Amino acid sequence: MKKPLELKPLFLERMKKIFSNEKDFQSYLKSIESEPPISIRCNTLKISPDDLKKRLENKSWKIKRPFKEYPEIIIVEGKFSNKNLIEENLVEKNSLDGNKYNSHDKVVSSIKNASSGWVGGNNNLISLEPGELGRSLEHLLGYYYVQEIASMLPVLALNPQPGELVLDLCASPGSKTTQIAARMENTGTIIANEVSLGRIKILASNTERCGAANVIIIKKEGTALCKRLKDAGFSFDKILIDAPCSGEGTLRSTPRTALMWNINTVKQLSKIQKHLIEAALEILKPNGELVYSTCTHAPEENEEVVDFVLKEFSDKVKIEKINLPVKCRNGLLGWVNEKYSREVTKSCRIYPQDSNTEGFFIAKFRRVR
Amino acid sequence: MMFTKVLSEQEHIEIENNLHEQFGIDLVDGLLIKKGEERLFFFSGNFSEAQIKNLEACVPIERLGIYFAKIIGNDVKLSIEGTNLLKNQIKKNIFELNEKQLEEWMTGSDLQVKTGKKGFIVVKYKDDLLGCGKASEEKIGNYIPKSRRLKQKG
Repeated sequence: MKKPLELKPLFLERMKKIFSNEKDFQSYLKSIESEPPISIRCNTLKISPDDLKKRLENKSWKIKRPFKEYPEIIIVEGKFSNKNLIEENLVEKNSLDGNKYNSHDKVVSSIKNASSGWVGGNNNLISLEPGELGRSLEHLLGYYYVQEIASMLPVLALNPQPGELVLDLCASPGSKTTQIAARMENTGTIIANEVSLGRIKILASNTERCGAANVIIIKKEGTALCKRLKDAGFSFDKILIDAPCSGEGTLRSTPRTALMWNINTVKQLSKIQKHLIEAALEILKPNGELVYSTCTHAPEENEEVVDFVLKEFSDKVKIEKINLPVKCRNGLLGWVNEKYSREVTKSCRIYPQDSNTEGFFIAKFRRVR
Repeated sequence: MMFTKVLSEQEHIEIENNLHEQFGIDLVDGLLIKKGEERLFFFSGNFSEAQIKNLEACVPIERLGIYFAKIIGNDVKLSIEGTNLLKNQIKKNIFELNEKQLEEWMTGSDLQVKTGKKGFIVVKYKDDLLGCGKASEEKIGNYIPKSRRLKQKG
């Protein structure tokens, strides 16, 4: 049984204000008490989603692919204890992977109905053993990456293409870097930056395991790096800033975030995030795209940053609407005494109660001049 | 930090020749980068050597591409990723594991088998390429790095 979260009163007060509707707030509180479904991303640099599906099903794992247009995204629901049921599941899966999940509502319902892989919701299904996902042969060979669904969305919004030059400014542990490499089919070039030496090792280990051979890893504080890259004449087709943040959206899988949370950190992070995006926009090519994402709900780290960009770069940058395969709510129009630009509503808030994921925030900008 | 030395065309061809002789490989389609005296990295990106040097002049490069192989004397020992990158070109000196041997191999054990070969051989299980081992009279020496080994239960 999971220990109840210890949420700080100020955090609760802020979340209540964000939702404004009591029913919505209660639904949020309920959702964060359970772990999200276990999800993995097939590494298409090494194996096709269909082949990986077969291999995992042969290991008796019950898997689900919730998005027809993104077959690489897989939910692991647990594993069968009875061989006969595996075969029944295969028949059922074949029909699900065909035509059934093609509308948005059905997709959301598909994730919503997925139980956490650690707790079997079905008598015939047992939970995976702790660590089983990370020590399978398929994982060691880089056939998949264990990644929460919401964390896959910024790269879907960025939509990197083969041959492009992409900067991943805050890259470790490498989930998004390897996802970008897969979408670019190991062509073009990804410059993956990480400021911490310890985290560089994790990043390098993950790019290696996934066979992401188009990646150059560098270590530098993000703002200073962008200035140096600008002086050296580099400019990028796409930039991802998955910014360091207070992590409010990760409470389901990392409950200790609740204990570490404090408002001063939120405010400090907001300043860092503005500096990062301000510097990064300077090295974005004309017509290039930048995705800014956080795994937090704090408006200071989200809409306030977006509003800052829209005001400071009003003649150079515009915000774009994003199409994602989960429910997205509009960015907030204001917070406390601040009123934001109307355009901020084009950014996307992802809440755990909406699609049974972690919480995230994503905004996409295009440089127009 | 990595000192970047992109192999010259001649050096690249020499590596390809060695790989051809050892495993029947014809082409390594990307840049090969040398780190230290022995370790080779493979970069599939479209940055030219000049762009890499320009980048390195502005910020130190920690890693360029992925670990590909180690040069040992006149031989090339491909890493797991090296064997995967060249999967479709490897034609000879291949040892196919059975299921029991797969577990031994992936937990880091040498295999006590006589292959009739000497030197580096590519190890595979069905479609999975598992790097190189070193065959001697009695065994195949295991080079699976600790981070890629299957952990034994308990």
